[in-house]
Amino acid sequence: MFKNFFNKKKSFAVNIFPGDQEISISRGETLLAGALRSGLAWPHKCQVGSCGRCRCKILEGKIRPEIDFNYVLDPVDVASGFVLACQSTAKTDIKVSVDLTHKRK
Amino acid sequence: MKKLYVNVRYLIVPVMTVTTIIGLFIGGIYAWIGVFLFGINTILDTLTKDIHLKADFDEDGNSYGIKIFQYSVMYLMLPIFIILQLALANNLYKFIYLEVLEISELVGSILSCGLWAGLGIIYGHELSHNKREGFNVSRAIMALSGASHFTYAHVYNHHLDLGHEDDPATAPRGRNVYAHAWLSHAGQSKFSYDLENAKLKKLNKSFFSLQNKWLLGYLYSLPSIILFVWSGGLVGVIALFIVWVISNFLLEALNFMGHYGLIRETGKPVEHRHSWDNDNLFTSWFFIEIGRQCDHHVRGETYFWELDDVKGPNYGIGYFSLFVLALIPSLFRKFTQKHLDNWDQNYATGAEKEIVNKYYVNELLQKASK
Repeated sequence: MFKNFFNKKKSFAVNIFPGDQEISISRGETLLAGALRSGLAWPHKCQVGSCGRCRCKILEGKIRPEIDFNYVLDPVDVASGFVLACQSTAKTDIKVSVDLTHKRK
Repeated sequence: MKKLYVNVRYLIVPVMTVTTIIGLFIGGIYAWIGVFLFGINTILDTLTKDIHLKADFDEDGNSYGIKIFQYSVMYLMLPIFIILQLALANNLYKFIYLEVLEISELVGSILSCGLWAGLGIIYGHELSHNKREGFNVSRAIMALSGASHFTYAHVYNHHLDLGHEDDPATAPRGRNVYAHAWLSHAGQSKFSYDLENAKLKKLNKSFFSLQNKWLLGYLYSLPSIILFVWSGGLVGVIALFIVWVISNFLLEALNFMGHYGLIRETGKPVEHRHSWDNDNLFTSWFFIEIGRQCDHHVRGETYFWELDDVKGPNYGIGYFSLFVLALIPSLFRKFTQKHLDNWDQNYATGAEKEIVNKYYVNELLQKASK
């Protein structure tokens, strides 16, 4: 009964497209924090969930949203899988789409 | 031992708030203990103005802060602040209905309660950056001061628009703390109202929806209003109004001191130079490092015990000392002028200097030529 409770994964694999790069993020760590720790140039600005610069699309897997994304993202985009990387922690291994070739405005 | 020292040093406010509550229940001269402690703190802050510490990390770079302990304390502050209001309501009841309390005791109780309720901001602020349960506790703590809108406005407005005219919490040069308190409070509430309105429209929901966090925030303050109406009638309402005015004034004074006169160009990222640090020993420990604004605004989700000195603009004195100066606008302007001049010369970018010249220097020259 408690098997899943005690055997919780401590880290999750994140496959990033395009480019098919793989990083690992810890349980409770945000997608953005994990990406920056791995040296990726993930677009970001405020890191508190208010600017929307770190938005990305979840292609596969589940995340836990730390805030209501509807303040910053369009509800249609949220419904189609867009999230804020700085306010998303992984619940499973995930595949995500983000443009890492952005230029800072 | 180091772990104990790093974690226990942040317990000044919890201990002093409980002391204030005990004072309110005992009554007599002890009802003034909150005011007395505020005075003592101002002296301690001034005495330690030259002691500045770095954040504490072990050899491997791990913080000594114990997250579960610090969070337990912050969550525990919610019932403590509720008991503080209950203690004041109890004294109101004794004054109005039992007639066993002197007016001086009631005045002391109201002032003590207002000053310490205002310190709820330091926990409301820290928890506003830690989502889910922490965010809700932040809202509840701020609601005790009728300022639940703060939690949303702080994250979605202040952190994004800091140093810019779009941020009501940033005070432009020349404004005094009294004007700022009202303008910032109203501006943040308006922002929160607009934010919810926009969200609800996008979701095709009515303004009178349970998803309207602006409206809900004010409803969270209803229990306080009911408590004070019940315990003191009209006097109770006046007492609660005074408590809210004092506590919101303290909240906005922190915003005022944290960013006074600093400028950021539209669209440019928030950097260390867009905040003032107040990180002397007493301010750091008392205000759980809220004075390390430079680091906080760049790493907004970093736990307070990990925030560090990043060599940003620094007033060189603590919040209590600066607050006393802020209460006398002419003194505050005189004190901050040299720091602003230093900021203009050594921190501002070319574009930021242009904004300074356009909005402040030219205006001063025009005034001088008249």
